[in-house]
Amino acid sequence: MDFNWNIFLYSLGPLLKGCVVTAELSLISIAIGIVIGTFGGVARLSKRIVMSGLMRLYVTIFRGVPLLVTLLFLYYGLPAAGIQLDAFTVAIIALSVTNGAYITEIVRGSIESLDPGQVRAARSLGMSYALAMRRIILPQALRRVLAPITNESITLLKNTSLVSTIALSDLLRAGLEVMSSKANTFSPFAGVALCYLALTLPLLALNNFLERRYRVT
Amino acid sequence: MTLQVEIRGLVKSFGAHAVLRGVDLDVRSGDVVVVIGPSGSGKSTLLNCINFLEPFEEGSIRVGGQLVGYKIDTHTGQRVRQPEQELNALRSRIGMVFQHFNLFPHMTVIGNIIEAPIRVRRQQQDAAISNARALLARVGLAAKESAYPSELSGGQQQRVAIARALAMSPEVMLFDEVTSALDPELVGEVLAVMRDLAKDGMTMVVVTHEMNFARDVSDWVVFMDEGLIVEQGEPENFFKKPQTERAREFLRRLLDK
Repeated sequence: MDFNWNIFLYSLGPLLKGCVVTAELSLISIAIGIVIGTFGGVARLSKRIVMSGLMRLYVTIFRGVPLLVTLLFLYYGLPAAGIQLDAFTVAIIALSVTNGAYITEIVRGSIESLDPGQVRAARSLGMSYALAMRRIILPQALRRVLAPITNESITLLKNTSLVSTIALSDLLRAGLEVMSSKANTFSPFAGVALCYLALTLPLLALNNFLERRYRVT
Repeated sequence: MTLQVEIRGLVKSFGAHAVLRGVDLDVRSGDVVVVIGPSGSGKSTLLNCINFLEPFEEGSIRVGGQLVGYKIDTHTGQRVRQPEQELNALRSRIGMVFQHFNLFPHMTVIGNIIEAPIRVRRQQQDAAISNARALLARVGLAAKESAYPSELSGGQQQRVAIARALAMSPEVMLFDEVTSALDPELVGEVLAVMRDLAKDGMTMVVVTHEMNFARDVSDWVVFMDEGLIVEQGEPENFFKKPQTERAREFLRRLLDK
């Protein structure tokens, strides 16, 4: 074992910088993914076949194509078609769109698991479909999506490590750089692992808080 | 007397199965019409067509003189869907109470009641709340306004559901087997609220298995079987001497129980 306290402590500086990038990517993509997924889940259940068909296609594509491939395609593939995006933008797009596909399915599933009598009651009172969704269905679906969306968010956070392949200085990349500059593999990776673990903890805490606040009644 | 609900030649199928096979029914303003019949006879479907929770294939329904769900295109003469906004406005004037209450579990009792008046009718919050409190007092639940539905008994939930429908000041109330999911000892409190409404002159269409309620409270009894109205009449006549063999058979089986 070549654990070395000095290298471990030295690596904390670069790793913290990497943490900031990883956290930024995660938070932005989680937020965008939730917005996409909420509208996507509702659209997926639309009676308009074009709308629900498009959403089905979207989900199929981005659950089927590996995130790594999406990243590489956007970063190395698109410039060949004349579209040049910077690495951070590419990372945000790929992570959000992939995350959005998964959350679309989570939202759809949780809406479908609700009692159809809820929509009937809302419509019988004269509410429009949109109003019934916003006031009656989505607030109830919210309680059911908290746990699976937390799961997705943790997965996304860890998947941000893939962006090191498109030259972003995220947490993993920071670890790799320390490794090559200090010729020590064990210490920086121990730090990287701990950092990822530490980053997931606030997500878990947020989930616990929300689950208590919106407890299923 | 004016007709509150006017149903003509109503036909409705689920796939190949014809649930309503040509139903005509008039409900006069202020009347309580009770619809009875064996399960699967189309009673609940009939009710669900009146506020267009179920679309139908043929026939017409008018509530307060206004066509429900469809209108006739003046140029082509063809039946087209009513615009969504018109339908919503029409539904807001038709109260409905469901077998399984369908209260909104994430809202308090008073939240359930003021939701549609505020969001659909654009009532001021203060006015909606004071109206809701008056309705809760009327159904005997003034003390429960801050409770959540899950904290209430079935009978209490159903009384809140009635108050929720009443908050929209409906022209007609539809009751879909509202006591069928209740424990026997809770049925009475819900029926009492309905009797009170009937006495007040509310127009009501009630699908029920409660024959005592039908006999005592209704102005008109409709007996359905296999998607058709087989017999209808005043309750005294219907229960004393039903005219059709099917109605006699239905009543006999109920009394045997």
